[in-house]
Parts: sequence; structure tokens; C-alpha cells
Amino acid sequence: MQAGKMTPFIKTGAIWAFVVLELIFFSVAGEFLSLSDKAFMDLDNMLLLLKQSAPIGIIAMGMTIIMINGNIDLSVGAIFALAAVILLDSMSWAIFAGLGDWVIPVSWALALLTGVVLGAVNGLIVWKTGVDAFIVTLGSMLGFRGLVFMYNGENPTSELNWTLVDFAEAQFLGLHTATWFLAAVTLVIWYVMTKTVHGRNAYAIGNNREAAVNAGIRVGPHMMINFMIIGFLAALSAVVFYSESGSVNPNDGQLYELWVITAVVLGGTKLTGGAGSIVGTLGGVLAIQLLRKGLGHIGADTETVNLVIGLILIAVLFLDRQLNLKGKEELKT
Amino acid sequence: MTIRTTLTATVATAAIATAGAAFADGHSPMRIGITQNNVGVDSYQTTYEQAFIAAAEANDNVEVVVLDAGGDVARQIAQMEDLIQQEVDAIIIWPTNGEAVIPAVRKAAQADIPVVVTNSNIAEAGFDFVASFSGPDNITQGSRSAEIMCDRFKALGIENEAQVVQISGQPGYTTAIERAKGFEDRLPEVCPNVTLLETQPGDWNREKSQQVMEAFLVKYDDIDGVYAGDDNMGVGALNAANAAGRTEGITFVGATNFAVGYEAMERGEYWGSIYQSPVDDAEAALKTAIDLLNGEELPFLNYFDTPKITQDNMSEFTKPVF
Repeated sequence: MQAGKMTPFIKTGAIWAFVVLELIFFSVAGEFLSLSDKAFMDLDNMLLLLKQSAPIGIIAMGMTIIMINGNIDLSVGAIFALAAVILLDSMSWAIFAGLGDWVIPVSWALALLTGVVLGAVNGLIVWKTGVDAFIVTLGSMLGFRGLVFMYNGENPTSELNWTLVDFAEAQFLGLHTATWFLAAVTLVIWYVMTKTVHGRNAYAIGNNREAAVNAGIRVGPHMMINFMIIGFLAALSAVVFYSESGSVNPNDGQLYELWVITAVVLGGTKLTGGAGSIVGTLGGVLAIQLLRKGLGHIGADTETVNLVIGLILIAVLFLDRQLNLKGKEELKT
Repeated sequence: MTIRTTLTATVATAAIATAGAAFADGHSPMRIGITQNNVGVDSYQTTYEQAFIAAAEANDNVEVVVLDAGGDVARQIAQMEDLIQQEVDAIIIWPTNGEAVIPAVRKAAQADIPVVVTNSNIAEAGFDFVASFSGPDNITQGSRSAEIMCDRFKALGIENEAQVVQISGQPGYTTAIERAKGFEDRLPEVCPNVTLLETQPGDWNREKSQQVMEAFLVKYDDIDGVYAGDDNMGVGALNAANAAGRTEGITFVGATNFAVGYEAMERGEYWGSIYQSPVDDAEAALKTAIDLLNGEELPFLNYFDTPKITQDNMSEFTKPVF
């Protein structure tokens, strides 16, 4: 019992220990290697860190539920791009011409709706066909991306609205708008996963789907709801990010699924499902952004970021396996 | 800031005390940050980065922070924010998306950091926040192509009856529009009797251009010249002419020299193009930033030279890396 309780704690604790280690490393290395006079742990820099973590972070919260379920969603990057296209394009639609700046909430709603609908498509297929989520979302990743390209060819979709940009760049109580969204999403999903029946069911299904079915959990609708949540969050991430930038390339969001999954796995969520935590995912997201930021800060090549994250990912999975083995051995004796 | 000042003071004092040598202008090195589009994606960008770093290392007065956005707008914006946060003296940006980076460029301008846009410009809505643009002049590239074409016609003695077709870049792209405009404006000035029969877009794509040229060859019995927005499209047109057995007597000219065009020139099938060097591009960007920091007045559009290359003078140029 002790070991069973300790292991997840060590695992979520490990990523946060790693975050602290990164902070110390880049602070010290920055003193010698950085061209900047400012310390790495400068308050403004840390606030920026949180803000820059938001695009990946918001999606990662949804991915955590999906992966605790034992599923995976590879289509988030394409949903992100399509929601962004709808967001920016709808702002100049003729039917909304009379709204003035009130078009902004309307466009947000449309973009978020797009995400929910696309997520529902994924969920419905997974539910009704029983095909593995990996295959279903691999297909929809290609399909949704195709829709993005059909929409506007190879051209970027743009709508620069300074009211929107000013809102997105605003800082309330020191935190950027994007940070508030990340914080709110983290809090809500954490609450859902730890305090509600839906959250408990997610763990139960991931642990043992047969048993969950026997216990009367309606697995299909449950999964569909989760796919709608991640669709919503992918769109929310797009809404938050593109409100500030105002233009989307058709290939934006590519590889986001992999960064998101990396963050979730770094945070201690098991690929096989049944275990994982929102707090750990937040740590994973921050760890990745810290690496990108820190390596830039000390003047390392941008390419090294990918190498380092890859190595760390393998190290984390290895550590995870060792911890699990240890747990099993302890049970035997 | 205080640490830096102390440091500068110490360095300055040390320099005066030890040697008393002329210490340039007493400044600490300029710190210039660059965020590039996507270095791994093609050899132009790779060569650009190497040349940029080499140029910076050769200059003792400059320290550079070299970043690459990997084609990801979000990362580029984050890198802009980081450079602003690090209080670099100037930022050079190769935009991943000419519009999406405008708010980030505005942030730099608000922090009083001059921004140099390199290679491809940002959209006009962002011009107010940019100190200078450093890159090739597409209009000049187009008009020089017209001169190359005209000179060739004169050498062949057909400048009074020649007929040309144009294959332009992707519609809507500034680069495509400007290269076409430069050519169309200049050609009647140098060769008033040459007729431009028709212009069709090849979308920067070799296969598409080949189809366009196939249609041209069917439609027109007499084509003396083909002008393409870049050599990739020009070689597509050349392939179509080769397949139809009509390469002989057609002068192919592109607006940017690519390796495929250079090779076709070596084979004697392709006449000329405009040489755009990533090394010049990178060095011009760095020089623009340095000049700005030295307080020099620069034109807003600060172009670097892109010379003509033809079969006659191609030995002076190395084969393009892209």
C-alpha cells in the first residue's frame, strides 16, 4: 500500500524536481554563457515562460485525460489549425459585418464549436467502430489537415485585429492573458480528474476496460466526451494563441501532437492508461518550454533542444519502468 | 543593467590602464539577436545561417544570439519575446509568417529595440514597427531578367520580332507580383519591339510550369523567349520544350538562379538568371543591423545586390546551393 501510494508521488515529484534542476542549471550557466545581463530567473522571464507554455499546455491537459483513458489523439495539431482558420476567417465574414468588435466573441465561439465538433467526430468513430484511437486520429489528423488546405490553399489566413491583439497581450495581476487561460484550464481539468465521477471513471477505464464495463460505466459515451473535451481545448489553445498573432499558415500546429504527448509522458502519465496526473502534465509542459527557453538563453543551437528533450523522454520512461518493477518486487516479498 | 555597466567600466579601465590603446569607441559589443524561419528545411537557409555566424564572428564588435523558429510561428513569437526580455540591442527576424509576427515586432518596437526584417518582408500593417528591411529587390530582379533577355535577342539579331511568354510565381505573393512587374515594365524600355504573348502562373512549381509551357507550345508556333519567376519554373518550361523538341531557338531566363538552372546553363539549354546569394543575404542583414546601431540613416528597403548570371559569365559564380 505504501509503495503504491509513494510511486505516483515520486513520479509527479520527479518532473517537478527536474523543472527545479533546469531552473538552477540555466541560472548558473546563464551567468557565464548568456549575452544578457538579466538573470534567467528574472520575474518577467518566468511570467513569459508561463505564457509561452500555454499553446502546448492547454492541449496537454486534454491529452492527459485521453491518455489516462488508454487512448491517444494525434489530430490535435490539425484541429488547432482548423479552429484558427475559422477564428480568423469568420471575423471578416459579411454576415458579421455589422457587429464591429462584437464579432470577436462570435468568432471565438465558432472556433471553439469547430473544435468540439471535430473532437466529437473522433469520439463517435472510436465509440461506434471500436477501431483503436491511434488509427482513428491518425486518419483524422490527415483529414482535418486536408480541410485546412482546402480552405485557403497554401496561403495563410489572416485577420489582424488590434483590439484582439491588445486583449491577448494584456497582463492582469502580472499574468498574461494566455497564462490565465492555462491556469483556468489546469484547475478545471484537475478538479474533474480528482473530484468527480467522470474523472474516476477515466482512471477505471484506463486501468481495465472490461472491469469498467462490468461495473456499469458507459465506456463509449465517456470516451466521446473526452474527445470533445480535447477538441475544445485544442480550439481554445488556437483561440488564445491566434488572438495575439492574427495569421495562420496552413501547416501551423504540425507536430503539436507529439510535443503534447511528450509533455504528458514526461509528466508521468502512462501510455497504456490508468495512471497520470494533471499536476505532472503541467510540470512536463513547463519542462519542455524551460528547455527551449533556457537553451536559447545560454546560446545553444536550437536543434539541440530536440535532442535533449528526446534523451530526457527516454530517461523518464526508463525511470518509470524501474520504479514500476521495484513496486512489483516489493509486493512479492 | 548595473552589472553590465560596471563590467564595461572595468573592461574600459583595464584597456586604458594596460595598453592605452585606441579602444575603438569604448562601446561594449553590440548584442544582436536573430530568429530565423526554418534552418533545416532548405540549403539556402542553412547556408544563410552559417554565413551569418561567420560574419558575426569576424566582427569583434558584435555578439549574436542565433535562434531558429523551426517554421513554427508560436516558437518565433516566443523567441522574439525572449530576445526583448534579454534586452538585445537589435533584432533580426526572418518571418515564418509575414502577418502573424507583426504583434511581436510591435512589442520590440515598443521596447525601443530596432527590428530588421530579413529576406522576405512582413505585411504592410507592420511597417511602422520595422526599422529596416534587408533583402533582395524583386523588382530589380525582374527588370534585370528583361535586360538579359533583350541583350540575348540583340545578339541573335531578333530583337525586332521576338515573342516571349511569361510563367509567374504563385498569385497573391508579393515576390511573384514584383518579379513580374519588374520584367513587364523593363522589357518595352530596352526592347520595344518584343511582344509579351501571354503570362500564366506556375505557382513556383516545376510540374505546373511544365504543363503551362506545354499549353504555350501548342498555342503558339513561334516562341523565342521564356521568362520564369524562378529557375525552378524555368526548368519546368525547359523540360516541356525538350519533350516537344523545340528547345533550339528559345531563350530561357529566370528571375532567381537555382542549382537546376545553373546545371541547365552548363548544358547550354538555359540562358540566364539572377544570382541571389544566401551569403550576401545574411551579411547584408547583419550589416543593416550594425549600421542602424551606429546611427546611420538607412533606406527603409535596404536591398543587397543580385547580379545577372548568363552562360557567358557563369564561371564567375559558384553553383547555388539550393
